[in-house]
Amino acid sequence: MSLIQINEVTKIYDGTAVPVKGLNEINLEIESGEFTAIVGPSGSGKTTLLNIVGGLDTPTSGSVVIDNVDLSTYKPDELVNFRLHHIGFVFQAYNLIPVFTAKENVEFIMLLQGLNKTDREKRAIELLEAVGLGDRVNNKPSELSGGQQQRIAVARALASKPSFVLADEPTANLDSATADSLLDLMENLNEDFNMTFVFSTHDQRVIDRAHRVITLHDGAVEKDELKIRLSKNN
Amino acid sequence: MLLSLAWRNIWRNKRRSLIIIAAIAVGLLCGLFTSAIMFGMGESLINSTIDRDLGHIQIHTKTFEDDKLLTDTIPSSIKILSEIKSQPNVTGASSRLIIEGMISSATSSGGVRVTGIQPQDEMKVTTVHNNIVAGKYFSDNIPNQILLGYKLAENLGLKEKSKVVLSFQGLDGSIIYGAFRVTGIFRTESTMFDRSTVFIKESDILSLLASQPIFHEIVVRLNSYQKVDSLYTNLTKSYDDLSVKSWKELAPELKLMDEMIGLQLSIFMGVILFALLFGITNTMLMSVLERVREFGVLMAIGMKRKKVFWMIILETITLAIVGGIVGMILAIITITYFGFAGINLSAFAAGLSEWGLGTILYPVLPVTFYLSITVMILLTAIFSAIYPAIKAIKLKPATAIRTF
Repeated sequence: MSLIQINEVTKIYDGTAVPVKGLNEINLEIESGEFTAIVGPSGSGKTTLLNIVGGLDTPTSGSVVIDNVDLSTYKPDELVNFRLHHIGFVFQAYNLIPVFTAKENVEFIMLLQGLNKTDREKRAIELLEAVGLGDRVNNKPSELSGGQQQRIAVARALASKPSFVLADEPTANLDSATADSLLDLMENLNEDFNMTFVFSTHDQRVIDRAHRVITLHDGAVEKDELKIRLSKNN
Repeated sequence: MLLSLAWRNIWRNKRRSLIIIAAIAVGLLCGLFTSAIMFGMGESLINSTIDRDLGHIQIHTKTFEDDKLLTDTIPSSIKILSEIKSQPNVTGASSRLIIEGMISSATSSGGVRVTGIQPQDEMKVTTVHNNIVAGKYFSDNIPNQILLGYKLAENLGLKEKSKVVLSFQGLDGSIIYGAFRVTGIFRTESTMFDRSTVFIKESDILSLLASQPIFHEIVVRLNSYQKVDSLYTNLTKSYDDLSVKSWKELAPELKLMDEMIGLQLSIFMGVILFALLFGITNTMLMSVLERVREFGVLMAIGMKRKKVFWMIILETITLAIVGGIVGMILAIITITYFGFAGINLSAFAAGLSEWGLGTILYPVLPVTFYLSITVMILLTAIFSAIYPAIKAIKLKPATAIRTF
């Protein structure tokens, strides 16, 4: 059974004068351990698809099944809880809490999960060390570079021990070297811990490293390409 | 951690937070100080009435207050007086003989309330002896001394050592006349009292009446007005055939005024806090609108809307509490300072005297008022936060994340 099953998903935005079809009968399966990039021009539906898979938005028709659970069966609060325990998010603009330190940013999601302080702190420090920021645990985001902030975002995404990580244009705001370094980190996490990553991206560097590239056009899957370089766990 | 987040969030925009904190603090300072002045005036009026004449508790026969008959005397009054003096917390008890009569000088005459007192006992229950502006308080061994108010002295053209004649009805219905010499002139906060009351020694009245000791009134003074209720209950039970009344019953207008001041000031503070409510709402709304993306992220990563709601409430409460604490500290300092130093209102002496108020006003604020203000601040904070909090939880994470 696939980790993520997307069945006949259609999304129509009817808030405008003329309803817009954001996604059109998408069918996809993503296995555990994949390192997948969703690509396509602006307006092709990448973000819409990521939002629906992440439970941030609901499809007009069709279903998304994650870990054998159909997300449409969840009430809003249950969906929040599901996101908290199953999905890690990495955003283009890092989106860290500016008044928190790096450690507190990573800890916060575990606080929401109800972990005790000792366990939270221990895991937060481990994760920050894993992303190469063991010496910056007490720095606030404003005291760190963009690349470092995105590493904290990755650590935060992993803090909840999610089933997979959704990363929306994670390298868009980073310079080449920093983007490469971040992708190395994600690749290592994928290889070492079999962590599933699903990216939406325009970035050729991400596309080059992805094991699978799904190209969307006008809300439909135009191409689904499985590349040679696969995770060693698969 | 949520509290820590709330605390740090309010300092994200220091200038804005400081402005609203200052608004809360200054609003509270002004409101509390004004309230303290009003309470001080009320307390001054109550205390001066109690000190001047009323005492904390008075005992009469049940019919005396209606008819004021000379014959309506308290039975076994000496025994009762002695029993009351031995009660705990009682600092003084004085018997009085009260007659409505006429006072005549060489030039004029008028109606007065003649109060026969035992000077030493009276000194323990009222403060007339401290308000002598000419002459002195009663001296021992000199008969037929009279103390009267400065206003009465003015009206009758009297001075210290002037002679007056008191006339009143005797026990047998005949009119009795007695000549007295002014030994002292007092001036209290109440012009009315100073115009209508004279004090003479009980022994002098009894001599004129040719009577054994008889009393119409026993006045009791305690070491604290807070003890009045318990003694009042005891005395009511012990002397159920007599009329025992506390100052609140003797001067219901003071009780009403006391309660009205509390109510009016609560409304007054409510109005101030209601005005502040809009300021706090505006600040929190700006804070929420600046953090739309952040709320989107928090909800996306798994923070329930309920928690986001309470986080904003917590931030607002924290903001209001900081302003509230600063305001209250400033108010306590100001009220304590003026509570000792007093506020000199001698420019309005004439008007204040008509109301029975002194010229030095001592602001005072009951602890319970601070507590009720604390509750009101918390409620204001919660009400102020509701709209911004609702605004935040109505955000859709998917859209909010992409807001810049």
